[in-house]
Amino acid sequence: MTESDIITAVNEVFCEEFEVPLKELTPESQIFDDLGLDSLDVVDLIVALQKKFGVQVRNDERVREVRTLQDLYDLLEVIKREQTSA
Amino acid sequence: MKAILNHIAVAVQNLFFSLFFFFFSLFYIPIATSVVFVLSAFIPHRKTMWMTRRAISYYGWLILHCAWPFARVRYKDKSPEDREGPFIFICNHRSASDPFLMACLPYEAIQIAKQWPLRIPVLGIMARIAGYLSIHEMTVESFFEKASQLYNEGVSMVSFPEGTRSGGRCMGQFTSAIFRFAKRIHATIVPLAISGNEDKPPKGSLLLHPGVVHVHKLPALRWEDYKDMSPFKLKNHVRNLLQEEIDIIENRCEQDI
Repeated sequence: MTESDIITAVNEVFCEEFEVPLKELTPESQIFDDLGLDSLDVVDLIVALQKKFGVQVRNDERVREVRTLQDLYDLLEVIKREQTSA
Repeated sequence: MKAILNHIAVAVQNLFFSLFFFFFSLFYIPIATSVVFVLSAFIPHRKTMWMTRRAISYYGWLILHCAWPFARVRYKDKSPEDREGPFIFICNHRSASDPFLMACLPYEAIQIAKQWPLRIPVLGIMARIAGYLSIHEMTVESFFEKASQLYNEGVSMVSFPEGTRSGGRCMGQFTSAIFRFAKRIHATIVPLAISGNEDKPPKGSLLLHPGVVHVHKLPALRWEDYKDMSPFKLKNHVRNLLQEEIDIIENRCEQDI
């Protein structure tokens, strides 16, 4: 999965699950402040991402450091790579 | 010269309001708490709770009216057909005066608050007795359980999903807990738009500024209306309804000026 595929798939999750307009999904968008998710919405987001990418994100401590969409793209790329090499 | 006189008038009115607020709170709350406490020995628990909530509502109503005429409240019910509660009222949150404005609502209601309002001496105790919920002191499941019990008893609840005062005319993002709760119990949601109290008092001050505060009750959203929305979509939908109403109020106010 390329970086571009990951960005497209994450954006699809935001569009489909949260109905966030695509134009608002920029790499620097703050997930809490700009996109309006709260801690409970993040649980829904993680479930949707796990389903979309077929990876385990929920128990990964690094998810706590995610602030922007770019952070999320990067994290998923790392997790995907780790799980492929394992 | 006129500006100076205006400043003096505002200062004098604030002085009178503050004195009334302080002494009235000092006497009313302990007396009301004592009366309810004594009566609770003779009347059913449900009736005691109703009386406690009414006592808090009267307190808020009197505080609002003692600020008259320099700070006035105009309550408008834009959906008088929605009379049968209980409801979950969703409000925007600009000022510390918001909880007092809930005295406009002709319903038995509790408020969902953060920790500090429920730690105010005497008033906080009375609020706890009345069943006010401190959302930060309980788990989500515990909140759902207690709130369901109250709603099933016919008690409406007031929530400020911004979580903190915006202090200005911009509305903050909403949290979703109350909307998840509403979806779970199929509750009726009523948006309540508040405008004009961002300087009554401003954040970080106790000084009230003259003007009119508008409180508009909007049409109810029933389960059938929002059952297909996700909690995220529902919270943003209600936020948009409030923003539209506030824009209408504030555009009209600016035209009036």
